[in-house]
Amino acid sequence: MNGDLLRNSKMESWFCKELFEQVPFNIAVIDRDYNIIEANKNFADYFGDWHGQKCYKVYKNLNYPCLGCNARLTFEDGKSRVSDESGVDQRGKEAHYVLHTAPLREHEEEPVKYIIEMSRDIIEVKNWQMEYQLLFERVPCYITVIDRNFKIIRANENFREKFGDVVGRQCYEVYKKRKSKCPNCPAERTFRDGGVHRSDQVGIKKSGERAYYMLTTSPLGRDADDIAHVIEISIDVTESKKLEKEVIEAERLAAVGQTVAGLAHSIKNILMGLEGGMYIVKKGLKKNDNKILEQGWEMLERNFNKTTSLVRDFLSFSKGRLPELEMVDPNELVDEIVNLYKDVARNVGVELVADLDENIHKAPLDPKGIHTCLTNLVSNAIDACRMSDRDENEVRIRAVDKNGTLSFVVSDTGTGMDSEIKRKVFTTFFTTKGGEGTGLGLLTTRKIVKEHGGSISLESSKEKGSTFRMDFPKNRLNTLYKEGLSKSGESN
Amino acid sequence: MSKKILIIEDEPDVKNFLEQLFQDEGYDTVTASDGLEGLEKLSEGKPDLITLDLQMPKDTGTAFYRKMHHNNDFKDIPVIVISGIAGRHLAVRQPVAVFDKPIDKEELMRKVKETIG
Repeated sequence: MNGDLLRNSKMESWFCKELFEQVPFNIAVIDRDYNIIEANKNFADYFGDWHGQKCYKVYKNLNYPCLGCNARLTFEDGKSRVSDESGVDQRGKEAHYVLHTAPLREHEEEPVKYIIEMSRDIIEVKNWQMEYQLLFERVPCYITVIDRNFKIIRANENFREKFGDVVGRQCYEVYKKRKSKCPNCPAERTFRDGGVHRSDQVGIKKSGERAYYMLTTSPLGRDADDIAHVIEISIDVTESKKLEKEVIEAERLAAVGQTVAGLAHSIKNILMGLEGGMYIVKKGLKKNDNKILEQGWEMLERNFNKTTSLVRDFLSFSKGRLPELEMVDPNELVDEIVNLYKDVARNVGVELVADLDENIHKAPLDPKGIHTCLTNLVSNAIDACRMSDRDENEVRIRAVDKNGTLSFVVSDTGTGMDSEIKRKVFTTFFTTKGGEGTGLGLLTTRKIVKEHGGSISLESSKEKGSTFRMDFPKNRLNTLYKEGLSKSGESN
Repeated sequence: MSKKILIIEDEPDVKNFLEQLFQDEGYDTVTASDGLEGLEKLSEGKPDLITLDLQMPKDTGTAFYRKMHHNNDFKDIPVIVISGIAGRHLAVRQPVAVFDKPIDKEELMRKVKETIG
């Protein structure tokens, strides 16, 4: 500050009077008996009338001096102090303020007769703090903050509740009960590149239960080169996983119920076919007519085969097993089906074509399950071609790996479906093949696809053909695969 | 002239069986694989009796019966329901008889003879 400025008498009086009034602090001067002997306008606006009152009365509406009074100490040793205080403002509301106490005297040696108290409202900061604290503790997520040694330095209430008192312990130990850092640690990546990383994780709670959670790691630091901490925020999806499984199970049970009713109907027809076969065989024997005999025998054979395929489909449908995933080349699965059906297809004027993606990677799939799905879709497609009016038809199988999704697509140039049939294709025992179909193929296919965490969709237009598409999100396949591995590890 | 029976049934083997059964007893038979074909066969010549399956891909037995009943020429033709589904006795208003699958063939023949001789 320029000394000349203060020597200007006008300025000096400004400093004496105006500054006292206008400085954005509440200022009060008290004597040793806690009487307020002077205060500025801000003070009066904040705490109300102070004339002739004790400071503890005005600040805190008390009738006795505050415990641990800082002014008392400043009177004794002449040193300035700062403290966080709570009091009551002039409207009777709770007030939070920072209070500075300083001795008011001309010379250091003088005993302190007066003290100047400067205070400033911090209720907003306090509220922010409370909001932040509440948010941190109560948000329905797990939040932990870890340092560069993967040590947890903070954890919110939700996390502590499920994982125990964990501050000071290693993150991998707490989340996963591991003795060393997890492979592909997302927090490590965030420390390295300063980026936000998301991943699906499986951990173990203090109760020993598995926890499925979606983890986001974010850097906490001044800039990308100086990341001291990483904040880990997770959403627990264990419950919704459980619900998802329950829904699938309930759907399966409902389907089994419908299935039993439908099954009875199919069996009745088969029994009648067998009865008819026996009747005709008997007639052939009676008349000693080989032609009739043969006709009856064929009927018996046909219905025997129907029983076999019905039982096989029914068993594979009602089985509620988890897919047994292993790393397989999707192209190989497609090739297998093409080789299996190529000749059958050609005999009925259908060209079976594989459309392979050369860049496809191995993926965790249940080869038996996918084989069943492709078999069902391809045999349906061939049947649809047989029923069409065209003489030459094509069935195309594609395996595509795109945007994190592995897809198998089976399309045909057959009869196609109207909306009525489209609506019914996935219901039990629905068949357009008369006595030939069991009405379980697509249902079984959809079940297997769902068990892989995938979905099946259908596009079709009458007379043009149909396309069935099985989509498997690869992150789900990978999660299932990891689960499968850890389960088989547990049972060993 | 022998009496004619219209067999409406989608299962080829069941259809074949019924056909043989009736022919062996000296009846003429006409067959249809679904309700729509059944109506076509009706218009080609009135049968003396109809055996009707209920669950078929195109047009159910119930729908066939309803349409048949709206036509004064056909509504008096006796109908025997042959079906494996539950509630089969309710599907057609006044059937001569209702048979579950697999059928009791002696009982069926007795009912047929009783109805049309």
